[in-house]
Amino acid sequence: MDILANFSQGLLVVLQPENLMYCFIGVFLGTFIGVLPGIGSMAAIAMILPITFYLDPTPALVMIAGVFYGAEYGGSTASILLNVPGTPAASITAIEGHQLAKKGRAGVALFSTATASFGGGIIGMVVIALLSPFLAKLALSFAPADYFAVILLGLIAASAVSNGGALKGIAMVITGLMLGTIGIDLTTGVTRFTMGVPELRDGIHIVIVAMGLFGVGEVIASIRATRSGTATQTVDYSDFYPSKKEWKSLFAPILRGGAIGSFIGALPGTGQTIAAALAYAVEKRVSPQRKDFGTGVVPGVAVPEAANNSATQTAFIPTLTLGVPGSPPMAIVIGALMIYGITPGPRLLTEQPDMFWGLVASFLVGNIMLLILNVPLIGIWVRLLNIPYKYMYPTIIVLICMGVYSLNNNVFDIWLTLVIGVVGYVMRLFRFEPAPLLLGFVLGPLMEEHLRRTMLLSRGDPMVFVTRPISATLLAITALIIVFALYSTARTHRRALAARLGSSRKEQPNEL
Amino acid sequence: MNQHSNDPEDNGQAELAIESPAGALGWGGEIGGVLLLVLSIIFMVGGWQLGLGVPTRLGTGAFPFATGAVLAVLALAIVIAERKGDGLAETPDWIGLLAISASLAVFAIVVDRLGLVPGVFATVVVASLPDRNLSLRGKALLGIIVALGCWGVFIELLNLPIKPFLEF
Repeated sequence: MDILANFSQGLLVVLQPENLMYCFIGVFLGTFIGVLPGIGSMAAIAMILPITFYLDPTPALVMIAGVFYGAEYGGSTASILLNVPGTPAASITAIEGHQLAKKGRAGVALFSTATASFGGGIIGMVVIALLSPFLAKLALSFAPADYFAVILLGLIAASAVSNGGALKGIAMVITGLMLGTIGIDLTTGVTRFTMGVPELRDGIHIVIVAMGLFGVGEVIASIRATRSGTATQTVDYSDFYPSKKEWKSLFAPILRGGAIGSFIGALPGTGQTIAAALAYAVEKRVSPQRKDFGTGVVPGVAVPEAANNSATQTAFIPTLTLGVPGSPPMAIVIGALMIYGITPGPRLLTEQPDMFWGLVASFLVGNIMLLILNVPLIGIWVRLLNIPYKYMYPTIIVLICMGVYSLNNNVFDIWLTLVIGVVGYVMRLFRFEPAPLLLGFVLGPLMEEHLRRTMLLSRGDPMVFVTRPISATLLAITALIIVFALYSTARTHRRALAARLGSSRKEQPNEL
Repeated sequence: MNQHSNDPEDNGQAELAIESPAGALGWGGEIGGVLLLVLSIIFMVGGWQLGLGVPTRLGTGAFPFATGAVLAVLALAIVIAERKGDGLAETPDWIGLLAISASLAVFAIVVDRLGLVPGVFATVVVASLPDRNLSLRGKALLGIIVALGCWGVFIELLNLPIKPFLEF
């Protein structure tokens, strides 16, 4: 009952014309940017962020969230039609989706995506509404040591499973923590690592880090595709709605995908890609159509999409109740809230109920908008994909410049974005992922503060981390993740190496 | 069982890695490791100089020093693990990197001296330089459209305190 009352109050908040408008702008721009191949939700949020600084916190948060799930949604449209995933999570959708498109059934794939996203989003929203108040109450008993432990757990969980392997992922998180110390130390007032540059005294702005690492980096990585020309696909509207049999085969996968996605998304640090991949793997085993997986089946599109979208929503649970991001884009959300002077944490629910429940209700409204944008109006996005990218990317670069420049009207920020962008691109080449770096960058100052408080409270005794049950449990889980991740990284590394040596040996006779 | 079913995939990836020239050289990760090691030493030395404080009252340099120390260990591990690394993730697109970097630099230089409209125009033209599908005239036209669009949106609509043109 309580939850229903809160939710309807949130609905009143989001139905205010202003919030409704920003919710729409959010999902629209998110879908727009997400549809562009190679530009993911991180870049989308980074590009929208400077605009949100002109708004009140609630519409800003609603808009950022809309951009986030809109971009995840648009990413799957691109992945189905072009087989160029707009976001990493969409690459799972592309497995079956592009097969369907090749069969000339792109319409059905897009329709299933829309339905599954909607279903997954609603499941995720229900989970947030039920779980957040409970978790927030639990988190109220957290001491600084527990916060330190939960931040560490989030950072390790997010980085240990990154593409380049656990070692590099964790190294990136630590690098982020170090970069976060640049600027004035809030506790002592001493300036750190600014190299005498006055512009660095307040630290590096999160927009600059996000724009450099994701905006600039992703544009550079994606322009090669335009020089080779993009493939275009037409959608046959006569075959847009699935058959009755396919309709029926949609429901169970959406429920399963939504459940898996909600669970994975709510864990601190894990993102939509893991949720989508896991849900797809499970479905491949339990689906009645499992034999046809890989050839383009409707449940195979629905499952990762439902999981992706529900994880996108539940990622807000640890973000808002603990202040620990559920996924890398959530780090930007935390950064944005901090700019408003709002510290996400257990008190957010009681101190900003309108904002929290407004956001939850906006998921319902936003998902309905997405359904409208993507079922009757799908033609817009298909046409957008046909606009040559050569017109798009110089415009994106200008928007990045404008976003960064508008922060302080200072070109120093542009130069800094340039440096971070180049570093980010080279990092990608060496398989160092930028997302963990951003996580560390946002959470570094928070982590340092909790560390200092813990040490002050315990009179300098570090044993407090292992004697408090909450922090001891969290640290033990963290340690387990590290051991497991290092082990599996070492194993795949060895196996890849052995396979390469083996195959090069096999190749030699052929060459002779 | 599992190992067997995974093997074909592993082989496929390994062959791809061999096809790329950088993969054959096997360089990549260890350079990143060395750079991280340098960075970690900078933060350790800097943290030391800022002062580590005492356990009860951690100094300004304690957190940078500690993170630097952890990173140093990880960086060393990366250098060792990546000696036979899997090469670059993709063939680097130096022309794209150069054009995008140059376009940001041009924005920074021109906006301050000539104003927003010429700045945006120059940024678009420079960014689209490597694109052979777009004629020079097309690039100029795109530049004019985007520049006027930015004038309308950012100055007229959002009232950003930027001058469209500066007198010089």
